[in-house]
Amino acid sequence: MADISVLLQFLFSGITMGSIYALIAVSLVIVYNVSRVLCFAQGEFFVYGALTMIGLTSVGVPMPIGFLLTLLIVGGLGMAIERLLIRPIRDASVGTLITMTVAISLCLRGLGLLVAGREAHPLPPFTKGEALSVLGAFLPIQVIWIALAVIVALIGIWLFFEKSIYGLSLRACAENRLGASLVGISTWKATIFAWAWGAALGALAGMVIAPLIYVQYVSGTMPMLKGFTAMAIGGLTTVGSVIAGLLLGVLEAYTIGLVSSEFADAIVFTILILVLLARSYGILGSSEDGGM
Amino acid sequence: MQKAGAKRRFPGDDSVNEVSQSPSLLPAEFLLRIEQVTKRFSGLTALKGVSFGIRRGHIKALIGPNGAGKTTLLNVISGLSKPEEGHIYCKGHDLLTMKPHQIAGLGISRTFQLVRLFTTNHATVMDNLLMGAHLRLKPSVAKSLFMRGSIRRQEREVCEKALETLKFVGMEWAKDYSPSALSFGNKRLMEIARALMAEPDVLLLDEPASGLNDAEVEEFRELLLAIKARGLTTLLVEHNMKLVMDIADEIIVLEFGQKLAEGSADEICCDRRVIEAYLGSDYSRAGRGS
Amino acid sequence: MKKNLFIGLILLAIALCPPTLGRISPYNNTVLILVGIYIILAVSLDLLVGVAGQISVGHAAFFAIGAYTSGILTAKCEIPPLVALVCGLVLSGLVAWAIGGAVLKLKGYYLAMATLGLNAIVVKLITGFSSLTGGASGLMGIPPFNIFGISLEDHSHYYYFVWTMVVLVMSGSLALIKSPFGRALTALHSDETAASTLGIDASRYKLHAFIISSAFAGLAGSLFCHYMGFVAPSDFDISTSILLLVMLFLGGVGTIYGAALGAAFLKLLPEITYQFHDYELFAYGLILILVIIFLPRGILGVLKDSARLVMKKRVQSQPY
Repeated sequence: MADISVLLQFLFSGITMGSIYALIAVSLVIVYNVSRVLCFAQGEFFVYGALTMIGLTSVGVPMPIGFLLTLLIVGGLGMAIERLLIRPIRDASVGTLITMTVAISLCLRGLGLLVAGREAHPLPPFTKGEALSVLGAFLPIQVIWIALAVIVALIGIWLFFEKSIYGLSLRACAENRLGASLVGISTWKATIFAWAWGAALGALAGMVIAPLIYVQYVSGTMPMLKGFTAMAIGGLTTVGSVIAGLLLGVLEAYTIGLVSSEFADAIVFTILILVLLARSYGILGSSEDGGM
Repeated sequence: MQKAGAKRRFPGDDSVNEVSQSPSLLPAEFLLRIEQVTKRFSGLTALKGVSFGIRRGHIKALIGPNGAGKTTLLNVISGLSKPEEGHIYCKGHDLLTMKPHQIAGLGISRTFQLVRLFTTNHATVMDNLLMGAHLRLKPSVAKSLFMRGSIRRQEREVCEKALETLKFVGMEWAKDYSPSALSFGNKRLMEIARALMAEPDVLLLDEPASGLNDAEVEEFRELLLAIKARGLTTLLVEHNMKLVMDIADEIIVLEFGQKLAEGSADEICCDRRVIEAYLGSDYSRAGRGS
Repeated sequence: MKKNLFIGLILLAIALCPPTLGRISPYNNTVLILVGIYIILAVSLDLLVGVAGQISVGHAAFFAIGAYTSGILTAKCEIPPLVALVCGLVLSGLVAWAIGGAVLKLKGYYLAMATLGLNAIVVKLITGFSSLTGGASGLMGIPPFNIFGISLEDHSHYYYFVWTMVVLVMSGSLALIKSPFGRALTALHSDETAASTLGIDASRYKLHAFIISSAFAGLAGSLFCHYMGFVAPSDFDISTSILLLVMLFLGGVGTIYGAALGAAFLKLLPEITYQFHDYELFAYGLILILVIIFLPRGILGVLKDSARLVMKKRVQSQPY
């Protein structure tokens, strides 16, 4: 008989992981909407965020500076990847673009292996302190940071995309690439900016969760897949992805806790496939011709 | 799909043509019957209540300003787009219940406004034509693996037919070329040849003469007549008025998704509504020709 | 036609060479068996990705189904390996048939993600049903292959068996792509809309390609489990699927020979560079990136172009 503290514990871990899925989903949405490319390597940005932060703090860089530096470094990496590897094949078929982002993911992962090895790396929590106890369930302080990160990210996205001229031009590109370029918006700049955003958000997700899970060079695949699931459920919108991500995280946590821990992932991915099928059939709302 | 209680309208009701279109007209006269087709795209009505028929062996031209719904109509007939209302009958079947490949199986082939050629894995012009013969070959995995002998024989026959079809459109020289290496006009011809490989009864052509110079249009005119001589029925979407007036047995004019007029070339160019909407005063007094 | 026979005979000769020559060490023999298995796997993926144009980043799922079916049936149910092999092949095909109709309606990124999801699901299911499959630590005690009691435990014997399968799969695949069936696949790969207006039932042909592709992958899996004697879920996860894609693109997508070339290359390369084992992942990623940008037709494309250049020079240097 599960009592309230156990159920609450699942809720907390669900919101924790759900926030990560939400962040990754939003990063995928931004990159896809502006550049029409789904970055397979998003999971690698997640890992790089964590590993870079770990690396910087281990050589004595103070956390806040390390945090900002990581965002800049990984964001810059995203920009470089777009400029050097995606733009040259902009007009290639979807199959080629997919394979390229898979290749990039492979490359980044291999690099991660070389630099960080096969071990799992821990990051100390952002602030020291005992976990809070809420109705018998443990709430690590880091979860507050995670929630904060999501909120700040969303505010930042809102400010940028709604209020700043740069954000508006990215949105224009997302809506109508040709039209945007015709009114003088540099679609190239917008695309590269979107990739910077996407990579930075992925890195943010990696950094905030690193104190709670041990990050390895392979840790990117699952979050990426689940982030994509959230994006598919949420319908390629920012708000939808966040809500879907949180719901997915909570659903996963309750499945692990109450149903089966071994098959939780299988259940999540079955949901992914069902959602994709539903979307392509136009059930949950249309998507262009059965797939992106 | 028709609204309940709507009066059943027969093809040609709005026609300027004087011959009365009574319900007792043998269906076989009209190989293709489009009835009250309405197609909407999230707020925009691309086709509204369009009805007409095409007689077997005729060349029917579909003209109208850009945005009139001509390509949409072709897409609806070939099954690539499903209308909200209406029916399309061919050989006793309602095309609206069928998938594109089934409609092709019924004997309706088409070309595209922006040619769609097969170029993957180094497909040549010849390969494109062989792909057009799909319906005849009815391929399957089992056949390909275990009945190599009969496939070889079929392949020979189809190759011969492909060469003959290429000759028919005047493109036999291009058989080993990559389609992307052809000029735009030749790509179109290749697409027509490919559509002919399916041995259709009805050929839907989407602006096949656009971008051709006068000499090429003349050659194309000959080709259209040759296709007609083979017994095919053609629905021709075209902007080239000279060609249309010259070759079409019947013309139907669309504007804003609705049928504006229908009839022979003489009738159309004398129709005041058409002149106002589309043709310009040159045609109103002089009749045919420019 | 004659040219293909010629190439087929060369392939056969190459295949039969090493153990017959007797100069090959048992270890190298083992490597060549693995190369053969991966050639079958890569060729099967090429049918789906290269010919039919359906992106799959989860092909290892069918590799797994074949391997585990064969492994469980022989290790736990004592069913003859030949029967188990057929079962593995058939089950893979059946799973493809069951899910293909729905999944192949997806295109582009959705399809890629769905195949990833499938791969992940299969791996998780294998890990989860540990009483049946041995879970994460793997299925052990898979007996060596035998045909009606004649054991192929000796690796040089198994080598012949595997490579006979390789030749069968490759010639079957080549026959398929040159046939009207293969043409229909190429047509719908190129332009599904136009293909459908020519009467090609896209969903049916995509499904058939998927079934054949998965069945061949299941065959490779069955061969694999008897070769290894033991299989673990980690052999069949997404990284294996991605490796297959690298093989395909490296060799030349859509050509069947290219897939075989890529598989051979990427399975033999680590033998030479084993000291740099940790660099493999990075190298594969880099190879794939370079191939996409600079050699879209893969190694086979390069070879064909060079051959053409050589032919041209020969013609040019002919005395008049």
